[in-house]
Amino acid sequence: MAAVRDASAVMAAPAQIVVDGVSHLYRPPRGRAVLALERVSLEVQNREFIALLGPSGCGKSTLLYLIGGFLPAETGAIRVDGNPVAGPGPDRGIVFQHFALFPWKTVRGNILYGLERQGMPREEREKRALDFIELVGLSGFEDSFPSQLSGGMRQRCAIARTLAFDPKILLMDEPFGALDAQTRGLMQSELLRIWQRTPKTVIFVTHDVQEAVYLADRVAVMSARPGRIKTIVDTKFDKTDPHVHKAKAFVEKVDELWDLVKDEALKAQGVRAP
Amino acid sequence: MARVTQIMPADAPGGLPEKAARLVYWLFGAFTRVFSIVLLLAAWEILARSGTFTHFQLPAFSEVVERIGSDAWSGDLWINTALTLYRALTAFAICAVFGVIIGMAMSRSAIANWFFDPIISVGFPMPKIAFLPVVILWLGVYDVSKITIIVIDAIFPVIAATVIAIQGVERELIWSARNMGANNRELLTQIVLPAASPQIMTGLQVALPLSLIVAVVAEMLMGGYGLGGAMMTASRFANSTGVFAGIVEIAVVGYCLVKVMALIRRRLLIWHQESNEPTTA
Repeated sequence: MAAVRDASAVMAAPAQIVVDGVSHLYRPPRGRAVLALERVSLEVQNREFIALLGPSGCGKSTLLYLIGGFLPAETGAIRVDGNPVAGPGPDRGIVFQHFALFPWKTVRGNILYGLERQGMPREEREKRALDFIELVGLSGFEDSFPSQLSGGMRQRCAIARTLAFDPKILLMDEPFGALDAQTRGLMQSELLRIWQRTPKTVIFVTHDVQEAVYLADRVAVMSARPGRIKTIVDTKFDKTDPHVHKAKAFVEKVDELWDLVKDEALKAQGVRAP
Repeated sequence: MARVTQIMPADAPGGLPEKAARLVYWLFGAFTRVFSIVLLLAAWEILARSGTFTHFQLPAFSEVVERIGSDAWSGDLWINTALTLYRALTAFAICAVFGVIIGMAMSRSAIANWFFDPIISVGFPMPKIAFLPVVILWLGVYDVSKITIIVIDAIFPVIAATVIAIQGVERELIWSARNMGANNRELLTQIVLPAASPQIMTGLQVALPLSLIVAVVAEMLMGGYGLGGAMMTASRFANSTGVFAGIVEIAVVGYCLVKVMALIRRRLLIWHQESNEPTTA
């Protein structure tokens, strides 16, 4: 298995994202507060592609929102490039499962919005928007509204919108979870293609084991109630190999992770593991 | 369109016959949409002429139309319609501006919410027209008091719709905008308001006919010019044709207002899912 990048060089550098003993309490409007995350620690290297894998309700999205600065941490600290996270910022771009496109703006308008907020001059941002529309293969749909696009096209627009303002870190919250199986497969290889052209650190939340092994360099398996990181598994494969899904090592890795996740899924459902 | 070309003879492509067929088709479509109204009016005419009711109880539709025609000729119709519309639309504009502002304040500030929420809860289901005697005592019987009572009535659906609309804006939309660097003011004007606009628009579409209804009721109770006032004057002179003319006039004005509002909605919310779907009206 050829590693995509030189692992030793990456490990020597200081971690780009440091999550240090972070807890988060989810307080519903009614009822008792739930400990969504308990003392989670994680280090992510520059330009690494890491997946957070776990059953629904294990707090993997919460961890992503904390790194994004959308939610406050109860205890512990999160540092990005050495600076503590105090709120959302354009250095950490997020892509949501349900796209969160501005429905009253066209594809072009959605992508331009972030560039406007960054104070980019008009000509430059118009050009940049078109470049990213082309990168995600939406040329010809610049002036369509999101309601006129298919699910896969909406997600490509959302990815272009986030990539366009050039975040160093890409936070992806089950971005392909709302798509059908065929579209999901296409979008996965598309994401890898884009990631190889615009190298960024990616934190990718998913509950799909195959997706995690295929896309990520490392997979952090999370456990439910309270959310913790159970283990981290190396999953570096040659992504350019079109038959990587069928490779023995790949299949074994999927099995190994599936076993780890299965116990947690049962626990999350309230079933005692056998 | 497919149907039109099917009923056309094959040797007449394009030209006048096809245009005529299209016109007939369109007229037929328009007729089917208003069929129930036509039926009602026909029944009215037949019933009035059959002698079942006295002329005083139910004047014929044709006489009412004649009366509306003479009112239009003398200019009374236009003065009354203009006055009623002026009161209803002025009050509606006040409701739209202040209703949205109060609704926004309530959803953004705990103090505004603490202050207004009980008032809305008690006031919304209340028959606000009951305040009319008070409003007359304080503000007299002219335009100011009429506009005030309309505002008191029609502002509630606007406030309620705005509060619900802003509460319903997806967290992810706001997070996305924050992520891209929007500040609080930009978030409100560029993200929250447009995202809430379909539901706010629905509130306005409730408030508009309500404004007209209250305008007419207030005019009926206070007298003077205006569609409602003219009806009461006709009633006092035992002129039942005049009363029925007023009813028809109000129906037509109300229908036009609602139609215009729906058109504005379609133009403003061109991006919304619903504008890609066929409408019922």
